[in-house]
Amino acid sequence: MAGGGGDLGGGKTQRRGKKGKRKSKKRLGFRLDMTPLVDITFLLLTFFMLTTSMITPQTMEMNVPPEMDVPIEVKQSELLTLRLREDGVIFYNMGLDAPEKIALKALRKVVIDQNVQLKNRCIVVLKASADAPYGLVVSILDELNMAEPEILSGLKAAGINERKRKFTVAPMEAKDIEEIKGL
Amino acid sequence: MSKIKKKRLGFVLDMTPLVDITFLLLTFFMFTAKFKSESENQQKVEIKRPKTQADTAKLADKDLVMVKVGVDSVLKDTAWYVSMINEQDITSLRQAMLEAKFPGADDKTVSFKVTDTVWLGKIVQSCRVVNPKASFAIDADKRLRYEWIEKAVNEMRKNRATTFNFVTEKRQGL
Repeated sequence: MAGGGGDLGGGKTQRRGKKGKRKSKKRLGFRLDMTPLVDITFLLLTFFMLTTSMITPQTMEMNVPPEMDVPIEVKQSELLTLRLREDGVIFYNMGLDAPEKIALKALRKVVIDQNVQLKNRCIVVLKASADAPYGLVVSILDELNMAEPEILSGLKAAGINERKRKFTVAPMEAKDIEEIKGL
Repeated sequence: MSKIKKKRLGFVLDMTPLVDITFLLLTFFMFTAKFKSESENQQKVEIKRPKTQADTAKLADKDLVMVKVGVDSVLKDTAWYVSMINEQDITSLRQAMLEAKFPGADDKTVSFKVTDTVWLGKIVQSCRVVNPKASFAIDADKRLRYEWIEKAVNEMRKNRATTFNFVTEKRQGL
């Protein structure tokens, strides 16, 4: 395939006479047919191209507090509670305030504002109902993760260069369910 | 007078660069291709991963305990499927589970199907013993109830595996 079109094959004239009985043609070049090789190569290429999946799964890292008997006391005023009801409605409240309904898209702003306002001391607690879809829980975590860069810049503007992220997931208790029941 | 035109009887196209590139691509795809492992093959559950936008890391390919939560397509029951990525870890885990008389475990099990939290706790504990360095990853279907994930997280917490990963899929575009 890669050869030229001209006749490269054996010489036409015999330059040197040989004393043997046979007349051997001297090869000046030879042509190898590359077609089957290229065929197979393309076949394999197509196979591998079609079977490879380029999208690799991503991960979202989570930290949960270890099991301890002694609960850690935190200030109620620094606590931002997010509650996810089984029907997928999100509620948020600061400290002891009454829970308020919030859309997923609006969540990021609240988290940023509270974190910047409280100057890094805000603790976010996510309480998800056992019957809520897992996909929604991950969406909330995603929103919280996406809020991070803006919180950082907000804190930087306020003169704080260090960011200590305080976030935890807590089980939904009967008290929580009661609080958001009729809303 | 006009030039005498040579009549072309045929033409030669140099295929060398084409073949070069083709080989290059072939080698690339051959090396990047990852074939399905045995544990993936054995599984009958389909998992629709939740999509995320935030910067996330790639899933580790060793020292990993995979906890898949999904609905069996045949039996229609939800269960945890625990498996380990390292080959020798699977062997040790299988040994440990056989000793503990895990129901349904045999010499070939690579993914342990668990339906109750007691066994889940035991298997998580065994994973921790087999490879203390291994990190946990939860790969769950987004349509599942959060309860299943919460239970798995609780079992990990009991075994002091407080850092773990949720397996997600990157949302394309913004």
